[in-house]
Amino acid sequence: MSDIALPHVVVAERSGKLSFRIVQTVCIFIIALIVISPLFMLLIASLKDDRFQILADMGSFRAFWVSNPTLANFKEIAHFSGELAYGRYLFNSLAILAITVASGLVVNSMAGFILAWGSLRGKVVLISLVVALYVIPQESIIMPLVVMMSRAGLTDTFAVQILPWVASPLYIFLFYQFFAQLPKELYEAAEIDGASIFRIYRSIYLPLSLPALATVSILMGIESWNQYLWPTLVTQTDYARPIAVAIATFFGQDSIYWDRAMAASVLMMLPILALYLGFQRWFVSSFVGSAVKG
Amino acid sequence: MTLQQSAAVRARAGRRRDPGRLMQETLMIAPAVLLLLCFLLAPFLLSFWTSMSNQPLVPRPTPVRFIGLQNFVRIFNDPAFWTSLWNVTRFTIWVLPVQCGMAFATALLLHQKIPCRNLLRGMFFLPAITSMVVVCVIWGTLFQYPSGPLNQIVGFLSAGHIQPIDWLGDPNWAMFSIVLLSAWQAYGFQMIVYLAGLQGIPDELYDAARIDGANVLQRFWHVTMPGLRPTHVFVLVITTIQAFKLYTQVAILTQGGPSGSTETVVHYMVRTGFEQQKLGYASAVSVILFVIVLVIALLQRQLLRRFDV
Repeated sequence: MSDIALPHVVVAERSGKLSFRIVQTVCIFIIALIVISPLFMLLIASLKDDRFQILADMGSFRAFWVSNPTLANFKEIAHFSGELAYGRYLFNSLAILAITVASGLVVNSMAGFILAWGSLRGKVVLISLVVALYVIPQESIIMPLVVMMSRAGLTDTFAVQILPWVASPLYIFLFYQFFAQLPKELYEAAEIDGASIFRIYRSIYLPLSLPALATVSILMGIESWNQYLWPTLVTQTDYARPIAVAIATFFGQDSIYWDRAMAASVLMMLPILALYLGFQRWFVSSFVGSAVKG
Repeated sequence: MTLQQSAAVRARAGRRRDPGRLMQETLMIAPAVLLLLCFLLAPFLLSFWTSMSNQPLVPRPTPVRFIGLQNFVRIFNDPAFWTSLWNVTRFTIWVLPVQCGMAFATALLLHQKIPCRNLLRGMFFLPAITSMVVVCVIWGTLFQYPSGPLNQIVGFLSAGHIQPIDWLGDPNWAMFSIVLLSAWQAYGFQMIVYLAGLQGIPDELYDAARIDGANVLQRFWHVTMPGLRPTHVFVLVITTIQAFKLYTQVAILTQGGPSGSTETVVHYMVRTGFEQQKLGYASAVSVILFVIVLVIALLQRQLLRRFDV
């Protein structure tokens, strides 16, 4: 309104707003930098060789600066056997993640599809059962689960870290919701053409469900990557130990080798960070998606 | 309605005509059903039975007996259990305002029209995808006593008046330190949930309020806050449930100490189950944990229903 009447006032107001914006943006950037500065510090510290120097540097701005970066820490820990087999632990974690996500996508999407479009009797009961099972936290089933697994002779295997977390009420429900909101005409047309239900799922619905597949991959991947309590209970040797459990063992020692712990932590962050930088938007929307439906 | 009915009729007819299709459907849903039965429902139901038995972790020659509610009675008579419950309650009371407040404030800032919004959002969200173990390594160094970074900052801000704090070694500070690192790690998730909630409030409401002469604060109180009510409920409930399951950071950094000041319910469960090998007892703790989570989840449903109507 005032645009027409008093142009000069508006210009002043706008430039005032502009400078306010700049100040605001700068402030937010500073806050953001402070928030992620511990991560940056981790990266810098992993490039320093002397573990006492790392601690000494921590209290000053030298925590954010390394004068002679070295990969010595990484070389020291990234073995595939022996005491510091973080190469192996990293590989274990990656293998567990890959198999969990791949099989989880197949199993949960098929179940979600049948719940959405199948003609099985008792479908409604199954759907409400899935929703009800979602309430059960992992922590409250692990006690009997550990005993079941050790009786089955699965202790210290990859299978024991994968099998229990493949099928999940949350992911079945996310797929169910996604498939159910796709148009019915797709299904009917394919059915009239004589396609079997597996064919309809495989060739029509699955190719359309990239957003759901991405969401579930990311959530499952993060979940699998960050598992801690469960693998500590079911792994005893290096054979299938994931990197999270291995890093935690640094804290059991009298004097913590911070240089090695930092390098191992960076090793653990890298794969997720690479994926995050590549697919940031997907990550954020996945977490929102898991929340809204929760 | 009629369309749905006719589809249902056709589906039913199809089912009668075609047992092969029924077979195929069963095969497709079977893996998920079997896995859920074996690895979720079975251990869940088993935990109720185990919680009422004296089963040890490692099988012994003496038979496992049904002992009714004795485990629960013993748990309720164990001061260590009440300490752990009080500790997670304390943790929740602290972490809720810190974490959700930080998340809400950042979301409000990021919701403005500012340049590089996605980059900033990505930066703020970064700790949320960082594994808790890595977070423990980072904060383990930050908490160093007496001359770690946090103590340097505290000393600098107070001009040396505050003595260095033994963040993880002092029973009065240990839980607060756990709160700090937990809030830092997890608030990014709440932040994006709030951002989604803010985006869900239609601009017309703000325009209408502006035309009615509402200032920034009034618009915040009468448009933003009511519009975010379901989001608030969701965030509070999720954070509370997470808080009650507190384990990893405590197990790594303090092992429940010093003198039990960071003992949590899950840590108590693992300790009794695996260190003391009392599986029945630990299962009873897990049943109690489930009941707590269930109550919070039901409370959320009630609250959401009230706000949505």
